[in-house]
Order: sequence, then structure tokens, then C-alpha cells
Amino acid sequence: MSKVSFRCTMQEGQIDEATRERLADGLRQVTKGVLGESPDDIPVSFSDIPSGFGFRGGEPSTTSLVNGSIGGGVTQDVREELMRGICDMWMEISGCTVDELVVSARDA
Amino acid sequence: MPFYRCVVPKDSVSYDQRAAVAKAFTDIHCGNTGAPRSFVHVVFDEADDRWETPFFLDGGNRAGRSEEVKAELLNDLMSAFREITGVAEADFSGRITEGPASWTMEGGMVLPEPGEETAEWYEHDLQGQAAAGG
Repeated sequence: MSKVSFRCTMQEGQIDEATRERLADGLRQVTKGVLGESPDDIPVSFSDIPSGFGFRGGEPSTTSLVNGSIGGGVTQDVREELMRGICDMWMEISGCTVDELVVSARDA
Repeated sequence: MPFYRCVVPKDSVSYDQRAAVAKAFTDIHCGNTGAPRSFVHVVFDEADDRWETPFFLDGGNRAGRSEEVKAELLNDLMSAFREITGVAEADFSGRITEGPASWTMEGGMVLPEPGEETAEWYEHDLQGQAAAGG
């Protein structure tokens, strides 16, 4: 069973397939750099929230959600390093702003 | 965070109703907790999840609030949902689960624990609303 996995949820039509592949690779590389996990052992899944079904602050949402699960847990410093690395990578590849991304790294 | 997922049967809730529920949930959450509006996420999911009722509210919040606040929040949210959608009380149930705030980064900042929010956090929310034209 994988120690680390990611489930990414995006608003429909916002991120194309090619960009998703780059984001998945980015998630694996950031995780390898912070946690030392082999990229081959990090499952990444994507799903869409249909248009008109996602809201933020009471308005239609443009936010992506990246939910990470970390088996065995990590210190808070390592967790923050991982989340910040994911934020930076995601914004660079997707072109979203810092306000359009929520990243979590939960103990499994 | 918070993240409110409304599981609903297919084609049972119109866009106008979804938008009204999202606004009501944001008003209620912020009114009960003082959290910034831009941190409130509401999603509708026409999934085939098996819950005890056809309509289900699955909420996720930062841990650390009192049982009284949590109970009042859930009650207010569910009342608003029923009022807007017309769903019968018997067909709707819900829960709010909690997790450590420190496990989530939003707006480039690790979320503060409830009651430990800084002025910077609220300022960030105002900037986000201004950027969005709100």
C-alpha cells in the first residue's frame, strides 16, 4: 500500500488533460523531494466538480483542492514544507493564483 | 475549509437553489464562527453515496470549536437547506467532522486554529474579495 497519495478535485473545464499530467508529475516530484518517496509509489487521482455545483464564499468557485494523505504521519515542519512546495508547483504549472488553491496533507 | 458537501439525488436541486444554499451556508458559517467568507466551500454532489437519507450534508471543519457552536452550526445549516430546497426533514440528515487546521494550507497560509486567527488572515480575505470584485 502506498504511503502517500493525492486526490485532486477541480472545477470543470479549468485544467486540461495535458496540464493534469504535468501536475501529477509535479506532485510526485515535490513529494519525492520532501519525503523521499519514490514517484512510482504515489497514486494521484483527479476529479471534476461540474460547472454550477461548486461555490466559494457564496459565489461560483474557481478553486482546486489537493488532498494529500500521508501514511505514518510527519512533523508539522515537514507537512508545511510539503504543502508549500505543492502550492508553488501548482501555481506555476496551472497558472492559478494563491487564492484558487487549497492543499491539505493529512495523516492517513 | 470549511468544506460543505451536499449529497443530493440527480436533478433534485436547481442551480438557483444551489446558489442560494451556498450563500446561506456562507452567511451561517461566518455568522456562527467569525471565519472569513472566502474560506467557505460548498459543493453539490449528485453521487450514489449510500447515506441514511436521500439528501445528506457532509461537512468538514477545523477542529477546536465548542460542542454548542458545532451543534448550532449544523442545525442552522440544515434548516437553511430544507427551507431553500423544500426537502422534507425526514429526507435530510448531516454531520460535521473535524480535522486539525494545521493540516491545510489555503491562500498560501496554514490555517489557524479556531480562536487563533490573526489580523493578517482576515486582511487576506478582504484582499481576495476585492480581487474577485466582491
